[in-house]
Amino acid sequence: MSIELSFNNEIANLMYATHGNPIKDCLQCGICSGTCPAAEFMDHTPRVIIGLISAGYKDEVLASNTFWSCASCYHCSVRCPAGIDIADMMYALKRYSMWKGRHQEGLIGPAFSESFVKMIVNSGRSFEPLLAPTYIFKNGPQGLVQEAQTATGLMLKGRMPLLPRKIKGLKKFQNMVRRIIPIGESS
Amino acid sequence: MSERIGVYVCHCGTNIAGTVDVVDVANWAAEKLKHQGVVIAREYKFMCSSLGQELIEKDIKELGLTRVVVAACSPHLHEKTFRTAAKNAGLNPYLVELASIREQVSWVHTDKAVATAKSKAVVSGAVSRVIENVALDEIKVPINANTLVVGGGIAGIQSALEIANAGFHVYLVEREPSIGGHMAQFDKTFPTLDCSACILTPRMVEAGTHPNITLMTYSEVVNVSGYIGNFNVTIKQKARRVKTDLCTGCGICQEKCPKKVIDNVYEAGLGYRKAVYTPFAQAVPNFPVMDVENCIYFKNGKCKACEKFCPTEAIDFTQQDELMDVQVGNIILATGYDLFDATRIPQYGYGKLPNVFTSLEFERMCNAAGPTEGKIVLRDMKTAPKTVVVVHCVGSRDENYNKYCSGICCMQSLKFAHLVMERTGAEVYNCYIDIRTPFKDYEEFYKRVLEEGGHFIRGKVAEITDAARLPEEEGKLIVQVEDTLIGKQRRIPADMVILAAGLEPRHDAKEVGKLFGIACGTSGWYTERHPKLDPVATMTEGIYIVGCVQGPKDIPASVAQGAAASARVLGKIFQKEVALEPIKASINQETCSGCRICNGLCPFNAIAFIADDMVSEINPALCQGCGTCVAACPAGAISGTGFSDGQIMAQIDGLLFRNLEPVEA
Amino acid sequence: MKQYAYYPGCSLESLATSYNLSTLEVAQKLGVDLKEIKDWNCCGATAYFPVDELLAYTLVARNLALAEKEGFGEFVAPCSACYKNAYFTNAYLKKDPDLAEHINYALEADNLHVNGTMKIRHLIEVFIEDVGLEEIGKKITHPLKGLRVAPYYGCQLLRPRKDHENVENPQFFESLLSALGAEPVDYPSKTRCCGGSLIVTNRKAALDMVHILLQDAVNRKADVIATTCPMCNVNLEVYQSQVNREFGTQFSIPVMYFTQLMGVALGIKPGKLGIGKELVSGEPVLAFAY
Repeated sequence: MSIELSFNNEIANLMYATHGNPIKDCLQCGICSGTCPAAEFMDHTPRVIIGLISAGYKDEVLASNTFWSCASCYHCSVRCPAGIDIADMMYALKRYSMWKGRHQEGLIGPAFSESFVKMIVNSGRSFEPLLAPTYIFKNGPQGLVQEAQTATGLMLKGRMPLLPRKIKGLKKFQNMVRRIIPIGESS
Repeated sequence: MSERIGVYVCHCGTNIAGTVDVVDVANWAAEKLKHQGVVIAREYKFMCSSLGQELIEKDIKELGLTRVVVAACSPHLHEKTFRTAAKNAGLNPYLVELASIREQVSWVHTDKAVATAKSKAVVSGAVSRVIENVALDEIKVPINANTLVVGGGIAGIQSALEIANAGFHVYLVEREPSIGGHMAQFDKTFPTLDCSACILTPRMVEAGTHPNITLMTYSEVVNVSGYIGNFNVTIKQKARRVKTDLCTGCGICQEKCPKKVIDNVYEAGLGYRKAVYTPFAQAVPNFPVMDVENCIYFKNGKCKACEKFCPTEAIDFTQQDELMDVQVGNIILATGYDLFDATRIPQYGYGKLPNVFTSLEFERMCNAAGPTEGKIVLRDMKTAPKTVVVVHCVGSRDENYNKYCSGICCMQSLKFAHLVMERTGAEVYNCYIDIRTPFKDYEEFYKRVLEEGGHFIRGKVAEITDAARLPEEEGKLIVQVEDTLIGKQRRIPADMVILAAGLEPRHDAKEVGKLFGIACGTSGWYTERHPKLDPVATMTEGIYIVGCVQGPKDIPASVAQGAAASARVLGKIFQKEVALEPIKASINQETCSGCRICNGLCPFNAIAFIADDMVSEINPALCQGCGTCVAACPAGAISGTGFSDGQIMAQIDGLLFRNLEPVEA
Repeated sequence: MKQYAYYPGCSLESLATSYNLSTLEVAQKLGVDLKEIKDWNCCGATAYFPVDELLAYTLVARNLALAEKEGFGEFVAPCSACYKNAYFTNAYLKKDPDLAEHINYALEADNLHVNGTMKIRHLIEVFIEDVGLEEIGKKITHPLKGLRVAPYYGCQLLRPRKDHENVENPQFFESLLSALGAEPVDYPSKTRCCGGSLIVTNRKAALDMVHILLQDAVNRKADVIATTCPMCNVNLEVYQSQVNREFGTQFSIPVMYFTQLMGVALGIKPGKLGIGKELVSGEPVLAFAY
């Protein structure tokens, strides 16, 4: 016999370390959305997203750009009078979205995170140029030019890594990763 | 000769029966405890009902029961009910034992088998114990007809007047120089918009001049001992440094005093007073007090202007605090609330941004006798605001500060909105989470403010800042909030912001509670005897709590509670004596070695040492039967009547089923 | 002398190399022994949590395990994101044996085990609490007289921890700056987010957030914005020109790491502190010290 989990529960279950989250306690007071510095760039404010989750409107939630515009500044979480860690919930929504492979069109976040994970798994350290393809073309021709200018400036100041670095214990590191998620044979 | 025991197992509707198989428990008792003397075991839906009690009374008379066990709810609720039922049937009430199978079984277990088995054990324990019970008689003590009321706010004044008008004497003790409490600070009261002082001061004067009220202001209770009907209270009358028999209340001393001090109490920090002062013009009594910490004379020996100018030579710098002992029969606590400290929420800017005010500051501002003479102006004391934002739920309904709702701030905020619009024509925005207007004429008041043009933004304010981003925000306070009804983040430029700060227990509520022997709940408000049915009594007989000290409430509710407590007290006074439970400890002086360990342990100071005989003695009137000394006595010389070692050991045996007949193999 | 496990983080290797340089110089000057953890890996910053929570914590835990293995009692991170990740991973490991079991199972494949026994510190805490403002004051040779500094705390240095004093209006950074002889300004956005990784994933939002930070600093007449995190520094400094283009502003305000300001005040040569590597020059700051 399978139990139909509410959307609320599905999201709460994705917050392992914080043992779920009292999303159900939301008063809809709006202090999270009043505080959020990125709220005006979200199609739904954080409070509305919680409302949609509680109401079970899964499609609307997955189609929104709200959690992909979250900077994880945690200001909402610290002010929430119901003790909900909203920023953590945004991460959970990102994970849910990645897992289900459903998100709004044209977002840079999903591809960026995926590339980042691949990069770390392959080398253990971050190497910015590898991530560039995920976003430099997404801000139009002007954006591309600006990005090139910035990169050049940084390179001239010796602040741009030219070669990727790998950690020494990479093989064992990858074995460690394999015990959490399947990453196939070593690269 | 064996006792004849009746066992009654209550269903309590489904409260117990839903988890415990009560029929099984009753049958089990009838069968397995028969050898101990159980002659009848019944189960019934509601034992505490009159029919249930009649069952017990009938059985006592017809079956000649000598002991009764009722397995039901906690003794806290109905021990008295069943003891009275037994008494009515002619059985000594102390031969009745309660077995709690609700609070201690059905309310804490979910497994039916486990709960039923545990209930059997509990009943078995009670049966074994009740056999060891002895008949006891209540101790009757006379009630002192005097009453102590601590706190001279509206609730305390109400209590004092009701008792005094009924012809009995009241000591009304107030910490501040004048009675009146917070209500004396307000301008208008909701929903009628009555002038607060106009409705309060007549009561204050009545209390101040009543022949049956001894008013002790600028005084505090420092010690309480005794028990209901017989409390001994020590009151410290702080030195006013003014001879009240000579003072005429002319006010010249404060006029001439050169030292100005910010008045953080009455003026909520918005205005000033002098070092020698009466808190407000209609103070009762109208005698000033000297603030020694700020007085120039006490700092460097100079000045003494007040003494020079006093026409009746009433100033006395040498006056000292005085202690006074009074005997009272009942005590009513009416010490009120403290306002939530808004500096705890730095993002609201209180204390940093000048034009952010708290509710009490704003009350003082609106008050015609206040620092701005009733004009609503900015901190510069002259500019009228054009836009005012009232922020609801400051420090309330918030896990990070106080979880509870402070109850009165929505109405207070609506009142502020109305007053601002009426007096300044400014635009007012109320930023709220919910509008809580439950009582008489409250919802209509909300409608009125809507009709008058008040703006309402449903959203808990995120921050208040002076960092402008747009030209129209320059020089303004910006209130950033999500307008949840339209789902947009808004920045409201305002001239003035009023924070509807929540109510909190007094900062020393816990210590004061300990003085009187009452407890605080998790939020710090005093605990009433029953949250639904007994809000003014406490677990300590003779001590009552009225007004905000029991939880945030408005003036009508405070007055009602004040009156309710006085009715209780008057009831006790008319009975002339009170019956004390005979559950006490007593010392066997033969075995007492005079070590005196018990003397210091008694929380009620009930144990005295008789030096001549080198033994200790317990005063049964003061003893509350807590059992501390019984447990502590190294010689085992102290036993508890109603909780003797024999009784407790028997109960343990019963719990462990050691009392059952061995089963034939 | 106490040795701290030093976890520089990926950005300090290249993008924020001045932070690394100045940290090591100042630490040496103040007698703080920072020893880099051997073969540390990227902590995942904010990019891992969108993908897999357990893996994100495991990545961080590996660094904690490495430090524990080397016998360190304290783990210091100069980057706020690394600090926040380490702090919470450590806290969860201590609180949740279930999570610890999962993570240690993975770490086992790398011959590691984490106990959650270390104390996690942000670099700025170590200087203020362990060295102390008085000690720092004694070693100042070039007080930053009259330098108006906007103390930019950022987010993850303070949040989501709630248990420390004044998460909404901290003053410790201001105290440090005062100890350096500088004038901390009343910076209303001092705990407002810089956008973090949004600079990549939602540039419009991030540029708006950076714009507000820069404008507030300029409105309060700050000469320089001091940062405690490489991401904040990069967003405020490297993207200043893009903000100008987007909003038609003309910002040219230096953004320096707090360790660079400390270094200047302590008399360390600017070049050694990485001053000169900025896209918005930090040279103007030197005038206040020399």
